[in-house]
Amino acid sequence: MGNENNHFSDRELIAKILGGNTQAFAVVVKDTEKLVTQIVRKMTTNADDQKDLVQNIYLKAYQNLSSFQLKSKLSTWIGNIAYNTTVNYLQKQKIPILELDTKLETKFALTENPESEAIRAETLEIIQAEIDKLPPLYKTLITLYHLEELPNKEIAAITNLPEGTIKSYLARARKILKDNIRYF
Amino acid sequence: MKNEHLTEETLQAFLLKETQEDGIATHLLACENCRARFENYQHLVAEIQKIAPETFSFDVTTVVMDKIVSYERKESSKQELILWGVLILLLLVILGFSLPFVPQIFSIFSAMPLFSNFLLFGTSIFVLVFLIADIYKAHKIEEKKIFGNNLQPTIHLPVQ
Repeated sequence: MGNENNHFSDRELIAKILGGNTQAFAVVVKDTEKLVTQIVRKMTTNADDQKDLVQNIYLKAYQNLSSFQLKSKLSTWIGNIAYNTTVNYLQKQKIPILELDTKLETKFALTENPESEAIRAETLEIIQAEIDKLPPLYKTLITLYHLEELPNKEIAAITNLPEGTIKSYLARARKILKDNIRYF
Repeated sequence: MKNEHLTEETLQAFLLKETQEDGIATHLLACENCRARFENYQHLVAEIQKIAPETFSFDVTTVVMDKIVSYERKESSKQELILWGVLILLLLVILGFSLPFVPQIFSIFSAMPLFSNFLLFGTSIFVLVFLIADIYKAHKIEEKKIFGNNLQPTIHLPVQ
């Protein structure tokens, strides 16, 4: 039902934009910027390139809006454009999206019940740092699954990967994180 | 099941409720090794979910709408250029074809009384000015609709 409502809103919004109301596109940007930000931030590091990437992603979405057939949510479609554009950028920069950094073998020990605020903040910092060491694709998948709380089906639509592959990559990414972070 | 340790995938799938096999829960109760690994995953997932989503140092909507507006302006001037090109070409074609008939047309007007000529030209100029003003007004309304206040969304989606 929620999905139908979403599609109805998407349809209305697209009709407004295609009817010449450019302002309505700002609503699309507001609705999807969190997802696009996560994809671009997790896969790239250069701040200047990130700004260009975000602009290009939304420009592509704007130019191709008339070809969007509402077969998925508008946010998923824009997420897919964001993922493809970022992967193309990484390929141009010759940055592998799935290569593990084998130099990093540091193992952090974390307490299971961090009591003070300082320890909690440090714990999150360590986990964030460990996630940042993962290959771009693993980082993105972990973020989309655990932070954006997207189902595997939607992640598959965004990344053009089979659901089974996503599950397998996620399992590997979590194992790397678990192995690098020891709890006591 | 009790003799073999659970795989990493099985532990994760059980934690994330992707599998509900009874044997896994039973095994976890009996096997200390698997329980420890399971608890590590539990802590890890709980901690990951606490991480705040990343943001940019710039405002995404402003930066994107700037790009969209400049793209629209470029597209609009391109279309305007094409329109003027076609209009000028059309005018030249019409002028080219009507050139041989100019003396005949001129003779019609010179045969008419001065008042009729004045009335005819006056009405024509009035209609022409009215049409140009109307087109200009419509163009300004359309331009305001496209480029005006693009940074703030004005449409509110229904709460779901």
